[in-house]
Amino acid sequence: MKIRDQKNFWSGLMFIAFGAFFAGWAQHYDMGSAARMGPAFFPTVLGGLTFLLGVIVTIEGLAVEHADGKIEPFNFRALVLVLGSVVAFGLLLRPAGLLVALFVLVGVSSLGSHEFRLRDVLLLSIGMSLLVLAVFIYGLSMTIPVLPSFMRE
Amino acid sequence: MELIDNLTLGFATALTLQNLFYCFIGVLIGTLIGVLPGIGPVATLAMLLPVTYALPPTSALIMLAGIYYGAQYGGSTTAILVNLPGESSSVVTCLDGYQMARRGRAGAALATAALASFFAGTVGVLMVAALALPMVELAFKFGPAEYFSLMVLGLIGAVVLAGGSLIKAIAMILLGLLLGLVGTDVNSGVARFSFDIPELADGINFAAVAMGVFGFAEIIANLEHKEKREVFTSKVGRLMPSKEEFKYAYPAVLRGTALGSVLGVLPGGGALLAAFAAYTVEKKITRNPQIPFGKGNIRGVAAPESANNAGAQTSFIPMLTLGIPPNAVMALMVGAMTIHNIQPGPQVMSSNPALFWGLITSMWIGNLMLVVLNLPLIGMWVQLLKVPYRLLYPAILVFCSIGIYSINNNPFDVTVTAVFGLIGYMFYKLRCEPAPLILGFILGPMMEENLRRAMLLSRGDATVFFTRPLSLALLVVAAVLVVIVALPNIKKKREVAFQEVP
Repeated sequence: MKIRDQKNFWSGLMFIAFGAFFAGWAQHYDMGSAARMGPAFFPTVLGGLTFLLGVIVTIEGLAVEHADGKIEPFNFRALVLVLGSVVAFGLLLRPAGLLVALFVLVGVSSLGSHEFRLRDVLLLSIGMSLLVLAVFIYGLSMTIPVLPSFMRE
Repeated sequence: MELIDNLTLGFATALTLQNLFYCFIGVLIGTLIGVLPGIGPVATLAMLLPVTYALPPTSALIMLAGIYYGAQYGGSTTAILVNLPGESSSVVTCLDGYQMARRGRAGAALATAALASFFAGTVGVLMVAALALPMVELAFKFGPAEYFSLMVLGLIGAVVLAGGSLIKAIAMILLGLLLGLVGTDVNSGVARFSFDIPELADGINFAAVAMGVFGFAEIIANLEHKEKREVFTSKVGRLMPSKEEFKYAYPAVLRGTALGSVLGVLPGGGALLAAFAAYTVEKKITRNPQIPFGKGNIRGVAAPESANNAGAQTSFIPMLTLGIPPNAVMALMVGAMTIHNIQPGPQVMSSNPALFWGLITSMWIGNLMLVVLNLPLIGMWVQLLKVPYRLLYPAILVFCSIGIYSINNNPFDVTVTAVFGLIGYMFYKLRCEPAPLILGFILGPMMEENLRRAMLLSRGDATVFFTRPLSLALLVVAAVLVVIVALPNIKKKREVAFQEVP
């Protein structure tokens, strides 16, 4: 068997997986009756339909060829650096404070670009810190810890 | 006149110093992201959604709305000067706008775009104001069965009128509906798909999904390509179009406005489709053009620009009156209302009249501000195009991350957003449009609720959807739409229509 359209084939499998998961997991809940639908009813129907469409898309991926059907390689570097920097920001915000978290976020995410210049990144971090302090902390008076926890009162 | 009273109330709300300020900020940000290629209004709205949590609801909605129609103005600047769509709905403007710029008429093209947009925006806002009352009255005749059928029609319409594979788009809707069901079920109190994580019992945060799938995924995708952006540096030239140009362009503005106003209301419509259709119509209607289309015909700028702005305004109608978003941007507006504990739907007009009419009138004020922002300050926006992306995206990430954290003051939401960034990147690679997913996500709980209520009232008889005339009519329209698009002849034309423009 040959995969003629990679994008369709894999998105079909993705829909199958999601559909099966939601419909399957929904069986933990009560189905109810047509007049009094339980929490399992809607997800079961929707999950089933998603599964079904997934099968159709997968078959399409095997049978029909499209010019742009090939999946281009993933940019794992950018993916990991961008998402990683965001997660790190979330985890650092409470213990280390806004300023440290922001420098980490800007620094790490900048590595994902083709051209990385340390001087620009530092300037950007400083500029963003000032902007964020002005807009969020003083302007919108959000309650976000600014300094690391050991420096707070 | 009730309408006058309502508009007076609207102006009283929109003209407060605070709301004027947020309206200005909204259109300013809108122009900014419109000018910059690579960030669209959907992503920006998603990013700023959490920030508006700190504002009063009226100011928040006024600002978010400003971003959407502001982006329509800004997008045309980049289209004309750089031949890149700063925003997807200005793809069509590139064709003739850039050619006008090359012939030294950049100023005239920019002015035409701005004035056409302003005229169309004014008409669009008037349409929203005039149609709001009758639409709300109609909406009160709707029972749960009609609401369910209307949502089916809305979702089907949204995929039919958009490009790409129909089956994949429907699957994305279903996936969105399913994700929307995560969290505590209102009827039984069961926490569905929460895996004993307390945060998930409240449901997946809407802003997290939108920001991850649109914002983060877009940034990662943009980082794949080396940046090349050539700013058209030669002079903008005289701003005003000549008398002849004006005379030649204004019928196109009228036609574009009319077409855009109608298409904006349709599900899946909004700005992009309107611009497309207006350009095609203009090309067909104009006989023996002095300058051929695609070579810098001023009508090729006037028509799509008026259409996209009219469409951007009228797409507020179904969202404001029925609580049903016709496109992804409106889905985000619904999300913003829910964040502020306003249940979207026909009751908004009576329960929050100041918000309702304030938002509508603010859109006209915003349009006025945009003309001022875009014409005399054009030089500033051109300078902005020189900011490299490597400085831009970390700044965007900072705003996003702070925004998402501040909704619940919980780092968990930040992680969820990152997960959806990963999923969104996968969608991008697999060519699965994320917009239907967002629509489904918003409508999921509403659809289930109405389905349950309708079935309860009919004592479990599913034929209720076909025996109530209004509901039947809506479902028939939905079915006809699917059949039409599935016909081989139309299918081919549809594929061509969405690929005509580079």
